[in-house]
Amino acid sequence: MNKTPYIRTRWFEDIPVGEFHVFGTHTFGEKEIIDFGNKYDPQPFHVDPELARDSAFRGLVASGWHICAIWMKMMVTYMERYATGVKDGRRNGAGVGFQDLRWIKPVRPGHTLTFTYEIVEKTDQVVRGKWGVIRSRNEAFNQYGELVFSFVIDILAERRPEGGEGTGAVIR
Amino acid sequence: MIYWEDISPGRTFETASITISREEILEFAAEFDPQPFHLNSQAADDSIFGGLCASGWHICALMMRLMADTFKREGLASMGSPGVPELRWRKPVFAEDTLKGTFKVSECRESKSNPAMGLMELEVAVCNQEDKTVIEMTSTMMVARK
Repeated sequence: MNKTPYIRTRWFEDIPVGEFHVFGTHTFGEKEIIDFGNKYDPQPFHVDPELARDSAFRGLVASGWHICAIWMKMMVTYMERYATGVKDGRRNGAGVGFQDLRWIKPVRPGHTLTFTYEIVEKTDQVVRGKWGVIRSRNEAFNQYGELVFSFVIDILAERRPEGGEGTGAVIR
Repeated sequence: MIYWEDISPGRTFETASITISREEILEFAAEFDPQPFHLNSQAADDSIFGGLCASGWHICALMMRLMADTFKREGLASMGSPGVPELRWRKPVFAEDTLKGTFKVSECRESKSNPAMGLMELEVAVCNQEDKTVIEMTSTMMVARK
């Protein structure tokens, strides 16, 4: 089993550029697509299967923000599985923002997405005295192997304090 | 309905406002983003945010809701979005904050792949009740042509 800790459980300095993980899989059900749509994105093609059939999507599709929310859920689940110290929260870094987000292909009921990330850059910028910025490229593929979703996100990671040793959290 | 041809750069839309409750913050976090600063007040006080705050993706979802309601109100013939060139989370959103959005059309262009639609670039900002920007985004939108 892969025991590499999640990025926020290590010091900024310990996180290697190029690290690649397949971190989660999720199948989108029709009900959850419609529930999310009704709450946050009530456009016909996200909430009404019949109206969706007449739309450019030719059927019901998940809101792009639903795919983002599931990305987050997969990421948190992954880090909880591979590291302790996460529930403490003091060292969980915030997301600063993202770039180049693309919803490339529709995600329909029954589609299964597999999520990956790769650390692509660490910047020299120091945020509020103790945080560094980790840039990762994230992608999701459907069950046919097609790239359906991608973006590049900047997340803060705590820099190693003066005299700090080891990893930023206890690894199971 | 408002179609792609009816809109030119500079057109600005104001959304309604929405107040986020503590229960909603906890509910979204439990389902999608169960990190301590979105779920637990004490852990949140010690975190980078300094208090229990909404998931960044929850703020995105609420921004979408404000925009979708505006499309409906204005009769804007939205065909969805191919993506978001850039988004920044500027400030945390706490319970009982009231959010309101503005989106401005910065560019209109034809679609190369689909003659039934046109594309618009939007500059979107969501502010809280103190008029501080919590999210800034540029996004692309597909709009039906006449």
